[in-house]
Formats: sequence, C-alpha cells, structure tokens
Amino acid sequence: MCTITKEQVFEAVSTVIDPEVGFNLVEMGLIYDAIVEESCNIQVIMTLSTRACPLHQMITQWVREAVEKIEGVGIVEVEVVWEPEWNISMADDNVKKALAGI
Amino acid sequence: MFNVSKETAPPFGMISPFFLIGSSFYLLATIFLLFLNPQYGHFDLAIVGWLHWFLLGFMMMVIFGAMAQLVPVVLEVGHFSVDLYYIIWPLLLIGTLVMSFGFWVDPFVLPYGGLLVLVSMVIFLYDTLMTLRKVTNITFTVKTVIASNLFLLAGIIIGFVMSLAMGSGVDIDINSWLGVHVVMVLGGYITLTIMGLSMILLPMFGLSHGFDETAVERAFILMVSGVIAYFVATLLAWEIGKWIAFMMMLASVSLYIYQVTIIYDTRARKENDIWVKSMFVGYGSLLASATLGFVYSLTASENFLLGAGWFLIMGFFAFLVNGHLYKIIPFLVWFERYSPLVGKQKVPMLHEMLPKRMANFQFFFSTIGLVVAGIGIIIANDDLFRGGITLVITGAVFMFASVRWMLNYGINK
Repeated sequence: MCTITKEQVFEAVSTVIDPEVGFNLVEMGLIYDAIVEESCNIQVIMTLSTRACPLHQMITQWVREAVEKIEGVGIVEVEVVWEPEWNISMADDNVKKALAGI
Repeated sequence: MFNVSKETAPPFGMISPFFLIGSSFYLLATIFLLFLNPQYGHFDLAIVGWLHWFLLGFMMMVIFGAMAQLVPVVLEVGHFSVDLYYIIWPLLLIGTLVMSFGFWVDPFVLPYGGLLVLVSMVIFLYDTLMTLRKVTNITFTVKTVIASNLFLLAGIIIGFVMSLAMGSGVDIDINSWLGVHVVMVLGGYITLTIMGLSMILLPMFGLSHGFDETAVERAFILMVSGVIAYFVATLLAWEIGKWIAFMMMLASVSLYIYQVTIIYDTRARKENDIWVKSMFVGYGSLLASATLGFVYSLTASENFLLGAGWFLIMGFFAFLVNGHLYKIIPFLVWFERYSPLVGKQKVPMLHEMLPKRMANFQFFFSTIGLVVAGIGIIIANDDLFRGGITLVITGAVFMFASVRWMLNYGINK
C-alpha cells in the first residue's frame, strides 16, 4: 500500500519554477493531475502555457526529478496534454494579480 | 510531440556571433547615417549601400541567428542540419562588407559580394526547406515560413542579377527590377517572417490565449497576393497593377496591426517591460510607415517615400528585432549556463539577466531619435535629421553595450 498522497506530489512539483515568469508550475495552474498507483508509480498530467515553449522537455524533466525526490516513489511519468488549453483563469490569484500588475 | 532539448537546440557558441555581429552592424549603420542626406533620392547609391549594410549585416544576421533557435520551436521539428549555421554568418559577414564597399566605392566588386551573400542565404534556405519537409503539423506559422523563404529565394536571385548588371554590365532594367527586389525581400521575406513568428512570440511572452486569428490569416493572403501581383505587374510593365499590388500590401499591414492589437488586448501579462515598450514603438512605426506609404501613393512625393522607408526600417524592423533581443539573448544564455543547475542551486530568473537601465536608455534615445529624424526626412530638414541621428546613435551605443552585457552574463560567476 502506497502512502504517497497527491498533495505530496503537488508540493514536490511546486519547487519547479518557470524562469520566464518566475512562478512555480502549480500556482501557474499547469499541473492538472497526479495519479498515484498502489505500487507508488506516479503519473503527473500537466500542460504548458504555450505549445511553442522552448523549455518543453527540460520542464518535464524537472518535474520528473522533483517527484522522484519523494521517499518511496516508484516510476515517475510526466504526460503533457493540450486539452484543456491553459489560460490565465487556471492560475492562482497571486499569479493573476502579479501578472496584471495589481 | 517534438521537444527542444540539449540535443536539438543549437549551441550557444554557434548563435552568439550572429547577435554580436548584428548589433555591431546596427551601431555602425546608425553612425553611417550621418553621411546621408534626407534630400537624396531612394536610388542614390549612398542610400542603397546603407540599406544593404543595415538589412544584411543587422536584420538578416539577427534573423538568421534567431531562426537557428526558433525553427525547432515554431516548426516543432529539429533542424535538418544546424551545423550549416557555422558557415552562414562568415559568408554573410564578408559578403555584406564587400557589397557595401561595392555600393559606396567601386561597383566592380558588387557581384562578388552578391555571390557570397547569395551562397549564405541559399545555405540558410537549404536547411530551412529541408527542415520543412519533416513538418507534419501545418500551422499558420509554417505557412508563413514556406512562403517567406520562397520569396527570399526569388528576391536574392533578382538582387544578384542586379549586382551583375551594376558590376559586370549585364543588360537589365535595374530601375524596374529594384522595386521587385525590395518588395520580395522587405514584404515577402522580412514582413511575412515577422508576421509568422510574432503569432508564436507575442502570445508566448504576453500569455495571450483564445484570440481570433482571422485578421492575420487574411493579412497573410493579401501580402502573398500583393507581392506576386507586383512581380507580375512589373513583368507586364503595368503601372496600375503595381499600384493595386501596393494597396494590397498596405491592407495586409493594416490587418496585421489589427491582429496585434487583438493579441495585446487578450494578454494576461500586463507588465510594460522593455520588450512591450519596443513592440509599441515598432508597431506604431509600422502604422506610420503604412500611412506615409499611402500618402506617397497619392502624391508621389519622394520625401513621403523616404519617410515611409525610415519608419519601416529604423522603426518597425529595428525596434522589433532589438526588442526581441532582450528576450532571446537572456534565454539562450540561461539555457546554456543555468539550465543544467536547476534543482541543484539557485538560478537567476530571465528578467534578472537584463541590463534594465541601459535598456531603458537605449529605448529612450532610439525612440526620440526615430521621431525627430523621421520628421527631418519628411520636411527635408537636414538639421533636424542630423539631430535625430545623434540620438539614434546614442541609443545604438546603449543597445550594443546591452547585447554585450547579456551575452557575458554569468561568465565570471
């Protein structure tokens, strides 16, 4: 029985910062889900703010490495999806306010 | 899904010469403006030489450097052979120097410079067109890359034949073909390239989503049709056809500016950094250029034509390129020097890798100089023109220093 929670996964991913905007991926609303299997294998489902993101592969690699730091974790997979398409309404309020210069 | 990775992204050492050489040419181009006179006609060899110095040494050099990095991003496939970029910049550099010498001193060397430039561009086109063969997802930007590169090929071949005519006496009507060369390169290549890339870059940097793209799609069709119509009208020596083609290109530019305002309105990122400010002046200049071009079409006054050219080249082109250098160079430096350190130590954010004060000085002097010199050109006032140029040169010095600062960021840390 795996004791790793979805919250732990999100907390781990929140250490990954987008260098362009300076916010972490979780508060940007880019992490859609984290599926924790009984074997402690984890699948992170995420998106990016643009399909043309030049850091696409590096960001998914950082997410994988961040989740792999959780104790007892099995195989980590990161899947990037484009549906639903990301928009600013998915971000936390602090991100929206900071980007809007409020 | 293709990803840009260490394996497919071009090495920093390969791209940095493009930006360093480009900004050097920009600085020298602004200084050379002191030797021009707003009362020169657009056929004057001093102006033609300066245009080639600016467009080849600065614009094309920076665009090619940017394309080395952007092609995999916008086309979603890796380069056919990115190593070809190692020979593009030396050929383009020497070719531009020889061509400028040809225009300013001795036309005899023009074909040699033209040949070097032609070869460098054919190599660029070879890589781009071979890369395009791998593309499966035909997006709007892919269409613009295909069309713009075909126009570039046609434009440079016409340019090379013109250099043969000037240097070796090949018998063609240079005055007629000059217009086609200009339309193919400025409208067909540079404007379409900017149009296509901006549909990726503007939403990416401004975090704009869910906007309607009908305007830019119509702008693309109008620009392609306008360039082709101008070519056909020249072949037929049909002056009204040329005017109609010119109007199609103006309509295209107007629709494109409208598209940019749509993207601007839907952006989530409201901060007015140096990039946003540069875009404002760049697109404002495009509007000014289109307006002056329209006035020229009614009045045939040379000053309005030169004014339209001034705001197009030193306003739209220069501010868009320089503005994006403040985004592209820090990213490339960060990717090269800091991305391997992510998760291991604190790394800088991209906005920290900008010389903000120098960039603001560059923006201030360049903008005021652009407007003052532009007015000087339109009213044919030499003093106003030279006063504006002095400010433009000051801005270019700050631009050059900013580029060096960004390229050297983190070297001694």
